[in-house]
Amino acid sequence: MKDKLSKEEVLHVAELARISLTEEEIEKYQIELKELLNDVEKINDVKGYDDDILIACWSENTRLRKDEAKEMLNPKDVINVAPRHSGNYIEVPVVISDGEGA
Amino acid sequence: MSNYIATVGVEVHVELKTNTKIFSNSINGYGEMANSLTNVVDLGYPGTLPTLNEEVINLALKAATILNCKIRREMHFDRKNYFYPDNPKNYQITQARTPIGYDGYVEIEINGEKKKIYIEEMHIEEDTCKSAHRGTKTLLDFNRAGVPLIEIVTKPCMESGEEAKLYLEKLREILFYGNISDCKIEEGSMRADANVSIRKSKSDPFGIKVEIKNIGSISNVALSIEKERLRQEKMIEAKETFKPQTRRFDDKLGDTVLMRVKETGNDYRYFPEPDIPFVIITDEMIENAKKTIPMLPDERRKLYLEKGVSKINTTKLIQNRVLSDYFNNLLNEFTNFQIASNLLLGDISGYLNKTEKTINDTTLTKERFIELINCIEDNTLTSKNLKEILESILTSKKSIKEIIKENNIENITDDSAIKEIINKIIMNNPESVNDYKNGHDRAIKFLMGQVMKETKGQIDPKLAMEILQNELQ
Repeated sequence: MKDKLSKEEVLHVAELARISLTEEEIEKYQIELKELLNDVEKINDVKGYDDDILIACWSENTRLRKDEAKEMLNPKDVINVAPRHSGNYIEVPVVISDGEGA
Repeated sequence: MSNYIATVGVEVHVELKTNTKIFSNSINGYGEMANSLTNVVDLGYPGTLPTLNEEVINLALKAATILNCKIRREMHFDRKNYFYPDNPKNYQITQARTPIGYDGYVEIEINGEKKKIYIEEMHIEEDTCKSAHRGTKTLLDFNRAGVPLIEIVTKPCMESGEEAKLYLEKLREILFYGNISDCKIEEGSMRADANVSIRKSKSDPFGIKVEIKNIGSISNVALSIEKERLRQEKMIEAKETFKPQTRRFDDKLGDTVLMRVKETGNDYRYFPEPDIPFVIITDEMIENAKKTIPMLPDERRKLYLEKGVSKINTTKLIQNRVLSDYFNNLLNEFTNFQIASNLLLGDISGYLNKTEKTINDTTLTKERFIELINCIEDNTLTSKNLKEILESILTSKKSIKEIIKENNIENITDDSAIKEIINKIIMNNPESVNDYKNGHDRAIKFLMGQVMKETKGQIDPKLAMEILQNELQ
């Protein structure tokens, strides 16, 4: 087993997190992220994990909510807490220029 | 003829017609002032928790039933992680491992033959906020954040843009009639992406998959698939290589263009949503969903044709849900359904369009409509005269016969009365009668004209012609 991640792997994770890294940081994370991964991989030793996933810490079913509207936020309050706004819209820097997220 | 076979799969996002959002109790609405339909859950404030809307499950169960899907009885939600401003939680709540519906199909008719388009799965998820790019800024409107969606994914079982178009039209029709979504592509409540690859023969493995996103209309889905097929063919013929990629359809270019390649598969780091425990689907929930599904278009089509409505009128009625629902009320009655459909789609639709009303805004009850159909059928009312009194018919509560009488346009239907008028005209026009007897066909038209003039058009021309011909013998 290799003892550190490749530079490309670290840059890929940085890209997913939308952060930029210096050369020193890349080198540091090649080792640190690998150590983290090694710890997380211990989960694979737990038997039966795949067939019986645990998603909440109690066994009750989800309680469903009635489809009834309640009070909403005042749009002024919504945009005023944002660092920037334009009219009633919250303004952010362009991340990508076409298409949307998911 | 192309040397390649295209393989096409389609993914459709449909917004569900609920009052409130999927995980919060703010209003699910469209066209309101930006950021006016939100609360702390929609905005992803720290410490907020999602609460699942029961109507979302109900509508998804209806959709799964209509799409002939199997239903998963125990399901959970998953987090799909990505950093993008349309999603301040940095994850979208979706269903990656336990979609509510799977293994379904939709039947389409292509070139006169029926074909099943297989549904791989349909799952529930939340919509993201709407972002608009303006130069160096991106503007966000969270009204759409948390609107409930179902995503319907087909198997790669289509072979052309035309098939994809027929599938989407059928899907839109059934989801609209099922009251699941208003399916307005122009408002984004139905959005389609297509996956296209090509190969030489069906025994070859699938070709390289290209995803086309952001297609704004059903006809553009067909067009973009055909354009993409051609583009891939050219590249393969020129021995050029290409990678799996995401493209978008550009309306102005009429072609697909490469989008920035985004995260795929593992990059989303899916994991179960710990804030929403398991959802158990009971028999009762399924039954409740099933019994409130309205009559769907295929069944309507079959019934209308059985009742003697022409194919073209059947198609037109189904294109107008309100008229079709109105027409359905008649189906247990004994009347002439072809005349009924002609009336609804002809003069009545003309009036409704002009006055921007629906049939339900008029005074035309079922009983009065049947009376109207009878008056047309037995020639008490000609279609010419109908136009004159249509407004009264649709706005007053008087019986149709009363309206006819008041307007003095009652048709002469009594044979002996018609004979009397015709004989008078024969007596007064001996020259034309002679011309007719000498083989001048045009003369009878002149005589008919006299009959129509004498009766001020209040006579069935077909019946009058029959009697005239008999009397001339």
